[in-house]
Amino acid sequence: MEGKSRKVVKKIWLYGILTILAFIWIVPMLTLLLTAIKAKKDFYSGLSLFRLPAEIAWSNFINALTKGRLLVYMKNDFIVSGLKVPLGIFVEAMAAFAITRLNIRHKTGIFIFFLIGMMLPMQTALVPINVIYSKLKLLNTYFGLFYVYIGFGISYGILILRGFFKGIPKDIDEAAFLDGCNKWQLFIKVILPISKPAVATLVITDFLATWNEYLLASVIINDNAKKTVPVGIMTFVGEHGTDYGYLCAGVLVSVIPVLVVYLVFQRHFVEGMAGAVKS
Amino acid sequence: MISIKNNLIWIILTILITMTVSLGFAVILNKQFRGRTFFRGFFYFPCVIAPIAVSIIWRWIYNPNFGFINQLMKVLEIDFSQSWISDPKVSLYAIFAAALWQAVGQPMILFLAGLQAISSDVLEASRIDGASGMKQFFFITVPLLKESFVIVIATLIVSALKVFDVIQGLTGGGPNNATQMLSTYMYSQTFQYNNVGVGTTIACVMVFMMMVVIIPYVLFTAKED
Repeated sequence: MEGKSRKVVKKIWLYGILTILAFIWIVPMLTLLLTAIKAKKDFYSGLSLFRLPAEIAWSNFINALTKGRLLVYMKNDFIVSGLKVPLGIFVEAMAAFAITRLNIRHKTGIFIFFLIGMMLPMQTALVPINVIYSKLKLLNTYFGLFYVYIGFGISYGILILRGFFKGIPKDIDEAAFLDGCNKWQLFIKVILPISKPAVATLVITDFLATWNEYLLASVIINDNAKKTVPVGIMTFVGEHGTDYGYLCAGVLVSVIPVLVVYLVFQRHFVEGMAGAVKS
Repeated sequence: MISIKNNLIWIILTILITMTVSLGFAVILNKQFRGRTFFRGFFYFPCVIAPIAVSIIWRWIYNPNFGFINQLMKVLEIDFSQSWISDPKVSLYAIFAAALWQAVGQPMILFLAGLQAISSDVLEASRIDGASGMKQFFFITVPLLKESFVIVIATLIVSALKVFDVIQGLTGGGPNNATQMLSTYMYSQTFQYNNVGVGTTIACVMVFMMMVVIIPYVLFTAKED
């Protein structure tokens, strides 16, 4: 009996701590939401942050989407991410396949070579890329942007995929060869479908990383019509630094696609990340 | 030079605080209780928001006149107001708090993965041998999490060295270089003042610092096979 009541006390403690932490964690999101629905005059008056406005200022959202060009930014970001993610994963999967399945020399050496790519921060590439791109007229192009993203994503992708591919038993290869597969078919029809969990994880992390990338995009793109969301949002700050209602509405809208991806894949996401580490 | 110092402070803060907090979260969220999956997802969520968006949210929270924190103080009638990010003394730590909000999720997941790999037999055995909760944690759980620690420390140091978006969005390195990091310094030198040479040199320094962390990590990963 005593043991049971101690358990209950423990449970209460646990939920108590969690609630406090959850409250702290949600404050920024709440502030964002509450500010986004207020018109300018509403929140420059006293303690208004804790009061709901008389009416929701939808104009904030409409302004952010149209005048703030957020729709354009989102379209650009979709194009860049939509090109980067599948192409990048395809290249990474081929490399990981070669490292783990094919008879090539210096497998570990090649793998380490790819991993060293993680060492290079984007900052080192900024100046060279800028110089090369301005000569090749690739500044302000989608191609210029997602091409570099693929390059920077390769190390991580190979690390994850190689870990997963290595866990697939070699017997499967032989069975496939006996059934008349060649190496290409083995890769496309056997290995890739088996690796769905790893690929799915990579799709999500890659999408988020590309969608949210700021540094490189801010250097390569300065044409308003080609900007991605993070760069666009920073333009907001420059243009409307004080109108926080407007600014927060913009941020909120820009978070929505990520939020949707996150909610759809949420379960898979946390488990998948964990799986990627274990392998 | 001040940017190297700031960057080192940032790395130390990341290792000490981000790692401890995320480990704490992971331990709590590894217990059996209802709503566990929800809380895991909930604490991970800030991770998926763009760092730039995070910095704008926190810029508003830190706003000295209308921001959340100073307003809260007013409501609670505490006579305390702070200009947070524009005060050179506290701005670095204020930004770190914003970064912490976002950064905890990733290492938390890595620790959770490590915790789940520990079989309950080991914990059971140690309990029978008379280990208390605390002892169990420090002498059984932590050593078994060695691999998670390696990955977490390596990724945290690398991301701490590269930190850019949050700082650029909140202060851009100011006030008076109080929050200048290597990355922001490199950026402003190259693209605002056109000192391309200085900028590239800073980038090289970053690579060297990065090598110190990555080379042991790569060797560790390669050796495992």
